[in-house]
This record gives sequence, C-alpha cells and structure tokens, in this order.
Amino acid sequence: MRNAAQPAQIPTSFGNELRACLRCRLVKTYDQFRENGCENCPFFKMEEDSDLVNEGTTPNFNGIISVMDSDRSWAAKWLRISRFVPGCYTLAVSEALSEDLQNICEDERVQYVPPKRV
Amino acid sequence: MPRHRDEDEDEDDMEPEEDEYDPDQGLIDEDEEEEEEEPRGKGRERSSQKRRRSSYIDDVAEEDDEEEEDDDDDEEYGAYTGGSRSKKQKRKKPSGAQFLDIEAEVDSDEEEEEDEGDDDFFVETGADIPEEGDGRRIHHRPPSIMEDQEQEDVEDLERRIQERYARQHHTEYAEETTDVDQQALLPSVLDPKLWMVKCAIGKEREVAACLMQKYIDKPELNIRSAIALDHLKNFIYVEAEKEAHVREACKGLRNIFLQKVGLVPIREMTDVLAVESKAIEISRDTWVRMKIGIYKGDLAKVVDVDNVRQRVTVKLIPRIDLQALANKLEGREVVKKKAFVPPPRFMNIDEARELHIRVERKRDQMTGDYFETIEKMMFKDGFLYKVVSMKSISTQNIHPTFDELEKFRKPGENGEGDVASLSTLFSNRKKGHFVKGDAVIIIKGDLKNLKGRVEKVEEGTVHIRPDMKDLPKTLAVNEKELCKYFEPGNHVKVVSGTQEGATGMVVKVDNHVLIILSDTTKEHLRVFADDVVESSEVTSGITKIGEYELHDLVLLDNNSFGVIIRVETEACQVLKGVPERPEVALVKLREIKCKIDKKLSVQDCYKNTISVKDVVRVIDGPSKGKQGPVEHIYRGVLFIYDRHHIEHAGFICVKSLSCRVVGGSRANGDRNGDTYSRFDQLRAPPAIPQSPRRFARGGPPNNFGGRNRGGRGHDGLVGTTVKVRQGDYKGYRGRVVEVKGTSVRVELESQMKVVTVDRNCISDNVAITTPYRDTSSYGMGSQTPIHPSRTPLHPYMTPMRDAGATPIHDGMRTPMRDRAWNPYAPMSPARDSWEEGNPGSWGSSPQYQPGSPPSRTYEAPTPGSGWANTPGGNYSEAGTPRDSTGYANAPSPYLPSTPGGQPMTPNSASYLPGTPGGQPMTPGTGLDMMSPVIGGDNEGPWFMPDILVNVRNSGEETTGVVREVLLNGSCRVALGSGASGETVTVLPNEMEVVEPRKNDKIKIMGGSLRGATGKLIGVDGTDGIVKVDDTLDVKILDLAILSKLAQS
Repeated sequence: MRNAAQPAQIPTSFGNELRACLRCRLVKTYDQFRENGCENCPFFKMEEDSDLVNEGTTPNFNGIISVMDSDRSWAAKWLRISRFVPGCYTLAVSEALSEDLQNICEDERVQYVPPKRV
Repeated sequence: MPRHRDEDEDEDDMEPEEDEYDPDQGLIDEDEEEEEEEPRGKGRERSSQKRRRSSYIDDVAEEDDEEEEDDDDDEEYGAYTGGSRSKKQKRKKPSGAQFLDIEAEVDSDEEEEEDEGDDDFFVETGADIPEEGDGRRIHHRPPSIMEDQEQEDVEDLERRIQERYARQHHTEYAEETTDVDQQALLPSVLDPKLWMVKCAIGKEREVAACLMQKYIDKPELNIRSAIALDHLKNFIYVEAEKEAHVREACKGLRNIFLQKVGLVPIREMTDVLAVESKAIEISRDTWVRMKIGIYKGDLAKVVDVDNVRQRVTVKLIPRIDLQALANKLEGREVVKKKAFVPPPRFMNIDEARELHIRVERKRDQMTGDYFETIEKMMFKDGFLYKVVSMKSISTQNIHPTFDELEKFRKPGENGEGDVASLSTLFSNRKKGHFVKGDAVIIIKGDLKNLKGRVEKVEEGTVHIRPDMKDLPKTLAVNEKELCKYFEPGNHVKVVSGTQEGATGMVVKVDNHVLIILSDTTKEHLRVFADDVVESSEVTSGITKIGEYELHDLVLLDNNSFGVIIRVETEACQVLKGVPERPEVALVKLREIKCKIDKKLSVQDCYKNTISVKDVVRVIDGPSKGKQGPVEHIYRGVLFIYDRHHIEHAGFICVKSLSCRVVGGSRANGDRNGDTYSRFDQLRAPPAIPQSPRRFARGGPPNNFGGRNRGGRGHDGLVGTTVKVRQGDYKGYRGRVVEVKGTSVRVELESQMKVVTVDRNCISDNVAITTPYRDTSSYGMGSQTPIHPSRTPLHPYMTPMRDAGATPIHDGMRTPMRDRAWNPYAPMSPARDSWEEGNPGSWGSSPQYQPGSPPSRTYEAPTPGSGWANTPGGNYSEAGTPRDSTGYANAPSPYLPSTPGGQPMTPNSASYLPGTPGGQPMTPGTGLDMMSPVIGGDNEGPWFMPDILVNVRNSGEETTGVVREVLLNGSCRVALGSGASGETVTVLPNEMEVVEPRKNDKIKIMGGSLRGATGKLIGVDGTDGIVKVDDTLDVKILDLAILSKLAQS
C-alpha cells in the first residue's frame, strides 16, 4: 500500500557533495537537501535554512542502498529503513544528530536512535 | 510455545490434555525450532484445545519473536502457538488465516498490547484484519455480527490512533533496537535474496542510483533494493526474488555487467549490510597517518579541520628532494626515479635558497600565520603543511612510536607543544582509564600542572582532589585534560601498549614519558605515563606465551634454539643458542616448535661434567669471565644465568667447552677412562648421535680434538686415508700417522713424505676404502641386518652384540630396538659408542659385565668410515619413519644411542669435509642426549640416495641422481636426470636438491619421516602437502626437507 509512496529524490551526482540525513539516512546531494529538504524528516525544515542541511546531514557515510520496494525488501527491514520512502539511503552514518535536532525529533514525537558507537 | 509449556509450572495440569489429543505432541515439545507454518488440517481439529491452551500462554510476545526466526516450515504443529501465531500468519501468509480459530477478540487484544513494540505489524493490521477475519469466521465460527462490528470499531480506533501518531510509528527506530529485535529480522527463505552483480569500478554508487531511477520509471521491475558498498569495488548487490528479475532490471544499464550474477548465501546476507560506522573525529592536534602518496604511513598532526569541505590541514615532516625540485624549477630534465621516496627531513629554507629555489613568504588568511611557500607547498618551522582530504588520512588506532614523536618534536621546540600533542594521544583512551586514587596531573588549561588524586570518575569528567591546600576539595576536570602522574621511585605496572604486563620502578619521569626499570628484564622501558598504573605487584610482565614460560629453552622453527628472555603480548624474545655472539630473535608463538626440557650434562673444557645448575665460569670467547649457574644445556651449548649480566635477562650463551665448572678439577680430563666412568651412564650412549649434530651446527671440531679424546681418540683417524682439502697439499691423499691437537700428520701417498695439516683441512672419507663400498651395497640392497656383508668391522660387532649386548639390553632397550632399530641393523653406532666412550658405563652396570668383554676388544681401526656410511644408505632405504619416534618415546636409558642410524645422514651432510675426525670423536664430547627427532631434521641439506640434485660443475648445472651419500657429506651422483651419465663424487656445496613441484614423487629428507617417499600433492607457502607412500597419510612438511625423487 505504501508502494505508492512518492520516492525521494535520487542523487544527481556522486561526488563529494553527497550527504546523508543523520536521522533517516537518506542520501542526496547537498543542493537537493537545501532545496527540498529531507522527504522523511520534513520537520527539520532543511529547505528553509541551509545551515540546517549542514547540521542535519553528513558527508561521512558508508555505502549506499537504493530501496525500491521498502515493504518487501529484506535489506530495508534489516537496516530499519523500511518505513521510509523509497530512495537512496546509506547503510550507516557515524555521527549523531545535534542536540537541537534531537529536540525537534522529540517535539515531533519521532524517535531517534543515534548510531551505536563501536 | 511448547517450550513455554515445558517450562511452565503448570505443565502438570496440562499434560493430561495433551496426551488426550495427540501423541505427536511430544515431538513438538522437544522440537520447537521446526514449528512455523500453519497446519492445514489438524489445526482445525484441535482448535478447542488450542483456545484453552492460549490462556496458559503468558509470554506471547516473546513467542512471536521466536516464530519469526523459525524459517522452516513444519506443517504439523504450527497451530499450537495459538493467538500470537496468527499474527504472523496474517502478516506473511494471509491464506493460512482461515485455519486459525482464534477469535478476533483475542487477536486484537493481543495486538494492541504487544504491538506497541512492533509497529511493523501495527501498520498493517488495519488492512489485513478484515479480510482475515472473514475467512476465519466462515470456517470456524458462525459469524457474529456483533463481534464483527466490535472488531471494526477496534480497527477503526486503531486506525485513528495510528493516524494521529503516524510519525511515531513511521519509523522503525521507534523502539530501542535491541539485539533480539535485530535477530528477529534475520533473513529467511521467504525473504528476497541478494544477488551480486558486477559493475564498472568506481560506478558502484551510481549504478545503485540508476537502478533506483529505473525502478521509479518502471515500477513493474521486481527488484527490492540495490546496495553499493564503499569497501567493495566492482560489485553491487541487488535484492530480488529471482535472478531473472535482477537481469531484467539491470538490462540496458551501462556500467553493469551481467555475465555473472551470484547469489549471496542466506547466512552471509547480514554480513553484506554490516558496516561498522566509524566515528570520524578529527580535531586539532590529533595524530593521524597518511594513507596515500609518498607520505603514506607517515605520522602527521592535524592543525586545522574544515568539516564542510572535508579537508584537514596536517603538519608533516617533508619528504622533498630539494635538488630534484631545483632541477625541475629551472626547467632541467628531471630524471624520474620511480619508487624513490625521499627520506623525511625538515625543510631547510636556506638550503632551498642556495639551490635558487624561490621561496615566498606568505601569510595564511585563515590563521594569520606566516608560511614559507615553495611551489605552492607551505612550510613552517621545517614542517610541511598540507591540506588533504579527510579520506586520505587514517585516524583510528594511531599509535605513534617514541621515535616518531621525537622526530616530530621540532628542533628547539620546548616541551610545551609536545605535551599538548601527547595529550591528544589520550583522547582515544578507553573508558575506565582513571580510577579512584590515581595520581594525576592537569595538562591543559589554567590549572595546568596541578597535581591531585582522583576522587570520582564520571563520563568524561574526573573529579580530583588537588594536592594544593587552598583549593576547593574537589575539582571536576575533563578527562582529556588529565594525565596520570608518577614520580621516580613509584612501582608501576604497564597496563597497555607493547610493554603491557611488565612491572618495574619508575626511574625517570620525562614529561609524560616514564622510564621504568623492568623487574624482569632489568632493562629500561620507555612508556607513556598513561599506560601504567601504580602497583606493588612484581611480575615479570607476562611470563607465559602459549605453553612456554619465560626462561624456557625452546626449539624454534628453523631448528635453532634458545632461551626465552622476554615475553611480550604476542611474541617473545629468544636468546639464540649461538655461542659466538649474542643473537636475539623476536619469535612468534607459532614459530616455537617445542620446549626442550631435558636434563643433560656435558663436559667442560677439562672434561668435568656440567649439569644444569652447576656454576661455571666462562674461560674463553666473548663472554670470558662471566660466571653463573647453568640453566640449560643443549647441543653442547650452555645457557648460563649471570645475574650481573644486564643484557638478555642475564642469560649468556656459551659453548660448554669454553667453560670450566667452578670447583671442578682440571686434571682428570685427559684420562678419559676415569672421567667417563663418572657420568657415562647418563651421557655416553647419546654421544654418537650427538656428534653429527654438533658438527652440523658448525662447532669447530678442533675444540675437542685429540686432546679430549685422549689416546684413543687418535685411533679414530690414525691409519685412515684422508684427502687434504685445503692448503698447499690440497688434493693430496694420504694416511694419517698422527693426530696432534688440531693438526694431523699425514703421510702423502704420492710424495712419500709426512706433512702436517690442519684437521679442518682434511676430509677423511676417501672413496677407495673398501668398507665403504661394501657398506653401501649393504645399505642399498639388503635391508637385513646381515652383518657379514659389512666387511671388516662387522665381524667384531656381531659377537659382541650377540653375546654381550643383547641379553642385557633387551631388558632396557628392547622395545625400541626391536621395533625401530634392529631391522636395519645399524648397530654400528651403538657399538661405536660403547667402544669409544662407553667402556666405563658398561663397566659400571653390573649386568653388562659378563657379556661385555669387549669394549676394548673390538676396537675397530676405522670406526668412522665403518659406521657412518652404513646407516646413511641404510636408513634412507629403509624408509621407516618409525625409528625416530621409537627412540623418542622409549624410556630406556639406552635409547639415545639408537638413533645412530637416523641422524647419520644429516651428519654426513653437515660434517662437510672440514670435520673429518669429528665423528669418531664424539663420544668424547659426549654432549647431550637430544632427542633424535630433533637431530634428524636438523640442518640441511640432507642428501639422500635417489633424489634428484642439481650439480653445479664449473659454472654449468646438470641434473643428477644421488646414488649414495658419503660420510663427509659428499655424494656419489649419477649425472643426467635419468641417472644415465657417469657417476661422480660431488661435494654438498656443489649441488642442491631439486625442489619438487606439485604431483612430483618426493623423498623426505628430514624430520620423523625421513627417508620415506611420497607424493607432493600440494604446496602451501613453504609447506608441502605430502601423501606418504607407506602409510598413505597426508602430512604437511617443510618444502626444504622435500626433494624430488628420481624416476626409477
């Protein structure tokens, strides 16, 4: 039923400008985040403030997974991104959301699990 | 579920019911793992029971998890899981729902409770329940409208709640992800599979994104996801049910190559997605290492971080070839030497100017610092400042060594910077680094250099009680601003780093570097203050590595041996048994073959017996004058512990013959008879096999030349025909008329005169002697111990053996002798040993008396050639590996002598022409009784008959087949790979063994299988995998002891 969900933007380039959302791990280019924000985390309102893009996304991430069919993908389930819109995600980010953004998550009643430290 | 029941206290109550219904049920109880899918028929029949049972089940949620893990279907039993199970069915296979008899009420109740934690389900329920509910009611229950509506209400409510909290449930992060939850997500056979698809290198991410785009354009594609891993070049993974789907999806995309689509085994699926999220924390003053370029591996210090552009500025010691740079700048031809990396050196600007390199002085806008700029490279204080990508440096596990740090300490820089940078080393330290009571010093901030004691430790913050009086009771200090503090005299223990485990006393404190006098090694260790804790414990650090302990004598891989003088975490230092100079090797555990734990005794230079713990004084060689108790004796080498000796943990390695037992007499040495009687029982028998080894190790034979052996020693050589190998008379042959110390007087055959030559310069195997011939034929041909064929000597031997030796020996040594030794009749060595060294010992053993008239009787004039040959041929022909093991294990005191046969060949090879008299001498030396096994695989090369060798003759190499091995190590070699050519005598250093290849027939030249033949079925590094012909065993042996067998 969620197949119909509008997929997120697909990154248009694959260089250094790629960034991953620290909450949902969606991967897009910096410009895409700046212009359209994050499809899964609209409450961050990155499109309104490009500083928030810097704050809420990271260029340090590891691996990319394009989730086409989030319901039926085992990988998405395993990575716990099956609730997000289809799109390109990263397997893991290493940084945690800043406190401000974590507070936003709390206000929005969105749980945020920071990456586990090894 | 059944398991719960088992565990349940109520089990007894339930049992009757179970029995009543289904005897099969016991099976379920035992085998829960298999239960999974919905039973089609039986489930319905048992419905009532099930319902009842579900009330016993109180651990439903947990059960749910288990179910998810179970992948295998077990049609029979699934139904027992009752209500909770139905959920799963709904999720996965709605078709099974019709068989579920559980009321919707139960369902939804449970769902509401449980599914707080399982939003996956929660979301779907809305859609699923109505249809399933229908099915269920049709089959199992008269539809109840009331219920139905209730149900709808619940669902309605649910949906509303869901909408309200949509976001909350939107993500699976909603709940703390425990390991158990993650376990529940493990892939099952029902999940899509991962397929590995080749793609263009560097295009992995792009390909994954292209697939995404393609899916958006054509949603009918049956792929679920595409994964590009950073660490896996050239491949991406595509998740899909079927390979065909993958192919379909990838069709037409460039950069994807579909020749091979590989399925990822279900077990490895999670590994694909396992990416450790490495936290990159780069801050100023962090030590990093360069990953690429000419500075690869170099230590660098971060001076600036640009997080947005992902760049860092690092400070490096430049590797710049100024001359080359000057040449380049002046447009001269630059000879590009590849692989030449200039050594790190501080930039000397003046030098650069002298080479007319233009140096500009610029101010960096960001920092305001001035830099000397050459060709866009920025220098300051001799360091190169370089802007690099964060990806080109590694930040994890940087453990700068002292040397590196010292180099980094710029000339003239005071300790200040050093402390700061050292402190950054601490940022990576583990938790629990500080404990209450630690003495610490503040290294940063306004309280710098304040000392105190740790009072309390919190995350990142340490409360310390300052030593200064006027300060508040406790101060909270950031962990990173603290460093442990020690004073000279503190006794500490090293808790991390390479010296981990060592203890010692702090003798010097240099900033944050402590110099510790180790308790064990008495050496100075330099450690970071951070790596130690105060401790009164006196340990030797780690004293054990594997099964070996500090100060053990061990045999190493390459057949050298030594004493462990220091144990580190993964390796140990071994003082090798090389008497000439102290040689210390760092040895890994796996390089240690075994511990040598033998109580042996040897002789000192005056023929006094030295046993372990005797105090000896070194009277010769580099360690002259040292004195101490003997800790180990092995192969004629003593390890002496001199506590005044600072190096090598006090151990000194010397030849036994360079020592004198303290308090021993020097007089009795020359009358061997007496001397021997003292210790012969122990020592004499092994003597023979020993000797070869001694020579093999290169111990100059002249040490125990004529002198040691007393009168009889001469006999061994006197009268034999020898050949002069070196000096003016090189090549001459003659008969030995006299042995004088290290020189020999030889009557030359051709010149009718007697000359004196050094013992080292003669070889005493001369091919013309008859015994040798016969022996070889004996060796090659018959394996029976028929002595007659052995010409001159044997007659002597036999009687003695029969009459004297056998009877008694049977008692003590039969086991091994019969098994291993006898068949090949290399009695000769034994005989020699008795003859030469042993009279006393036998004399001392009463039983022997009657039977051993002999020791003197059969004094063979040429014992050397007599026996040395035989066994060589003999043994190898024999091909029984058992020999050595036999010796090794047999407890008989006699046994050490038996191996005679075996080490023969090694010796012959190793005595090289230089040691003619050596072998008959042996008994005199009587070194030690080593295990023959060890002796056997001692040194190479060990030529053996029938092996292929390459003979280097006047510059050209020809292949040949060893026909026989002469006692000096030379071989009779039939030239030509088919052995068709002429037969020549070749010195061992003129030939080398032909290394076998895979599938070659081989002969084993060393080790316990020495002499056996086999087939090389594989090669693994330096090891060969050999299938032994006789036993068909497969053995892994060092290639070095394998030789190609000649085609016969």
